[in-house]
Amino acid sequence: MKVAMDQEESQTRARASLADRKVIEKGDTTYRIVSKSVTEYHFIVPFDLSDEERVEVGQIFSIRDRGLTFLARVLDIQHSSNYDGHWDTAMKGTQFFDRDQIFNRVIAEPLGCVSKDGGFRKSRVLPTKFAPVARAEQAEFKFLKQVMGDIEIGSLRNGSRLVEEIPVALHSNAMDHHMGVFATTGMGKSNFMKVFAASCMRLACMGRSRFGLLIVDPHGEYLKGNGLVKGLTHLKRYREGLACYSTDQKNASDPGVEELAVSASEVRPEDIALLYEWSPPQRDALDAISRIFNSNHWLEEIQGTEGLDRMVLDGFKENTVKVLVRRIKNVLERNKYIQKRSSLANILANLQSGKVVLVDIPRMSDRSELFLLSVISRHILEEYKKEEQQERKNCLITIEEAQRVLGAGSNTSRFETIAREGRKFGVGLCAITQQPKLIDKQLLSQFNTLVVMGLGDRNDRMQLEESAKQDLSSLDIEIQTLEKGEAIISTLDIPFPVPARIHRYEDYLRRLDKEEKEEGLVSRGGFKPFLE
Amino acid sequence: MLDKSRLSAVAELIRDHISLDSLDRYCAETGVCRQDFVVIDPSEFEGEIFAVDGSNVAVCSWSVANLNLIRAGYAVYRGRDWRRTVITYDDIFLADPRICAEQFDPYLEQIFGLKGIDLKESDLERLSTYFRELQEYIALDDATGEARPGDLILYDGSFDVFEPLRGALLTVFERAKEKDVALLAISKSSTLPWGEEISLPFVQHTSYAGSLMAPGVPWYLCLKDKKVDHGQGRWEGETYIVRFDGRSDHAFRVDAPSYLEDRIGSVLERLAAYSCSSECLGYPHALFRAHRDIRITDQEGGFLRLKLMEMLEEMGLGQSQVRILMQDFHDVLEMRPGI
Ligand SMILES: Nc1ncnc2c1ncn2[C@@H]1O[C@H](COP(=O)(O)OP(=O)(O)OP(=O)(O)O)[C@@H](O)[C@H]1O
Ligand SMILES: [Mg+2]
Repeated sequence: MKVAMDQEESQTRARASLADRKVIEKGDTTYRIVSKSVTEYHFIVPFDLSDEERVEVGQIFSIRDRGLTFLARVLDIQHSSNYDGHWDTAMKGTQFFDRDQIFNRVIAEPLGCVSKDGGFRKSRVLPTKFAPVARAEQAEFKFLKQVMGDIEIGSLRNGSRLVEEIPVALHSNAMDHHMGVFATTGMGKSNFMKVFAASCMRLACMGRSRFGLLIVDPHGEYLKGNGLVKGLTHLKRYREGLACYSTDQKNASDPGVEELAVSASEVRPEDIALLYEWSPPQRDALDAISRIFNSNHWLEEIQGTEGLDRMVLDGFKENTVKVLVRRIKNVLERNKYIQKRSSLANILANLQSGKVVLVDIPRMSDRSELFLLSVISRHILEEYKKEEQQERKNCLITIEEAQRVLGAGSNTSRFETIAREGRKFGVGLCAITQQPKLIDKQLLSQFNTLVVMGLGDRNDRMQLEESAKQDLSSLDIEIQTLEKGEAIISTLDIPFPVPARIHRYEDYLRRLDKEEKEEGLVSRGGFKPFLE
Repeated sequence: MLDKSRLSAVAELIRDHISLDSLDRYCAETGVCRQDFVVIDPSEFEGEIFAVDGSNVAVCSWSVANLNLIRAGYAVYRGRDWRRTVITYDDIFLADPRICAEQFDPYLEQIFGLKGIDLKESDLERLSTYFRELQEYIALDDATGEARPGDLILYDGSFDVFEPLRGALLTVFERAKEKDVALLAISKSSTLPWGEEISLPFVQHTSYAGSLMAPGVPWYLCLKDKKVDHGQGRWEGETYIVRFDGRSDHAFRVDAPSYLEDRIGSVLERLAAYSCSSECLGYPHALFRAHRDIRITDQEGGFLRLKLMEMLEEMGLGQSQVRILMQDFHDVLEMRPGI
């Protein structure tokens, strides 16, 4: 074994080692991947960044590593340093010389990586140690344009910064897989629905609509808005894509708004059932109605003395039947739109042709709204269950305060049925709620598209995280800190939950009204909000 | 069996001799007096401070030779602002008295223009220390090359060095003098003794004396003509004891080449202005950083050891052979997993 180097060899080595000095300079350590695994990336940043450069939870960073560009989203930021022990609480004086030794550690979750050809996929590899990290820019998000759908609802958001050039758009073909819109009150649910509806109206006018959208609005906010807040009828350019029905005489007198009517023959005992709490005997009586009466005339017949006799003959107590009848009369008294005439056929036709149908029922009570929604939904489901006719578009039924009907233990199986099997017939649900924690977990897991806005309640977030198709658990801090109009969109056709800022409806309106008729919004991209 | 009476005898010795309750004997025996403590008035300056340090860990040893990982370099500051750290050597060193000279000579010749070195008498442990010191002088020389007139270069250690390497250091002194750069060696621990009967720690006692004679301020004390053996005449320069910050309890041995003798006060004033960091109050901050940036951690040593063994096995050496060659029997006694 030759251990010794000969003279010449060691001369050369010495010379080489002299030339081989390594210089470590400022900035060599920050903004570089330092650890840790395929599922979690760490890098450090200066602890005293300016407001402009501050790192936020939710921000997306890119890591350029030879042929690949990794994208990662910030989950948390921690104080850290190269010193051990309690140096920071046992300081002598405040004159720190080595500010580079104290830093913030950024913990980020990998979203995936973009290869040279622009394709995006989940990453199974780890970025090289010390690979440089930078705030992701527009160019790195380009691939997202290819996976976006046709219903524009907002722009991509990187932390709290807007990436205006990258529109966020949902997929029409995912809508029969149900959509959920979740936010604490005032965070922008109604605004979202209007933007969503506006995009649908636009598609309908351009003949590209894939589904009809039903909105039953008990607050009277969608039709004409309120003061500065605009309504759907303000979208003049695509007004053709909207059909309006109203129970309000004044609203119904507007051109293009039809007075809502539902024929008595279209009301079923189950619809009435929604309106009151019933005792078991009353419930039994209600259930028996469809057996005893002709389903088209029961409402009229049961109110007469003959009707009462038939019920009593069937074994029900007179008192029970009288309560039933009194309540039915009450319903008819309160819901004046129950007439001979009916708008339902018309509503259905509009939905099937892919329009947005707005049913405006201002000042209507909670239960009356449910009653009406129940009547219409049943009608829709029955129609859609029939053999598919040519050219029929799918249908998406919006339910506000959806926890009322999709809650664990609620007695409204109709909507649960739609949630479970509506898909087969092309009927989807758009459930809007402030309290996802009250929605049945199993039903929630049927929702393929989630629009999650600010949710302060931990249990609400847990419920969503546990039943979402995409993993949202790491986004907990971000969801908690979302501001008005900010959202996380999780939908199957987009590879990771996308942070978005929903357009402000009034801004979106002005832009839609201005655009060239045939110009594709999504493909054109780039939407600058108008400044007030 | 530990004899308690012996322990208490040592305790008495410490009480009677080592702890200093009156300065009289200290002053009488060392020749130090109140006037010798010169107050330093810290003053900032525009130039750069270079701090040179080195580090050395044993990777493995087979009794007659051993393998070390050695690193040397320097940190550069402008004021309080760290600019960069330069690593001038970062490599393994095989310490074997038979072939060692060949590893020293090329550096001595090429950098310092010196002829070969005689290491035949040195023991193994020393060899790697010498090589590390040589690499530190090379780092000193490199820093001198980069420095501009008026700059400060600090060395972690003393200038009273191993005889065969003194020539190298002298060359560095000359170059620094020519360039008008101040060169100082600062020791964290110093073995300077005083006293006639038993060895008493001079730096610690001077530090104590300083807190009484010049309290709350930075000061320095020159050892010229003092009755302390600090290698006078063995190298061309003077030794000082310095407190860099009045709030600190520590004082350090500082060596300076003779060309700095008449301006040592102003050099120390500049250095004191940058020895007040929160990270390491009372110690030149650049040296603190150099120490941290250049040190080799135990993990690094262990990692290299594993890598070496892997290679040996790849080359066909059996596990048992590797073990026989490389396992330190101390590890066996201590029941450390080792290899
Ligand atoms: N994307 C957005 N951009 C700007 N402002 C918004 C956005 N979304 C909502 N807002 C504003 O926030 C306010 C509340 O919005 P919205 O009525 O949509 O909330 P909500 O969640 O429907 O509230 P509620 O629970 O009361 O129904 C409105 O004034 C609206 O203009
Ligand atoms: Mg609302």
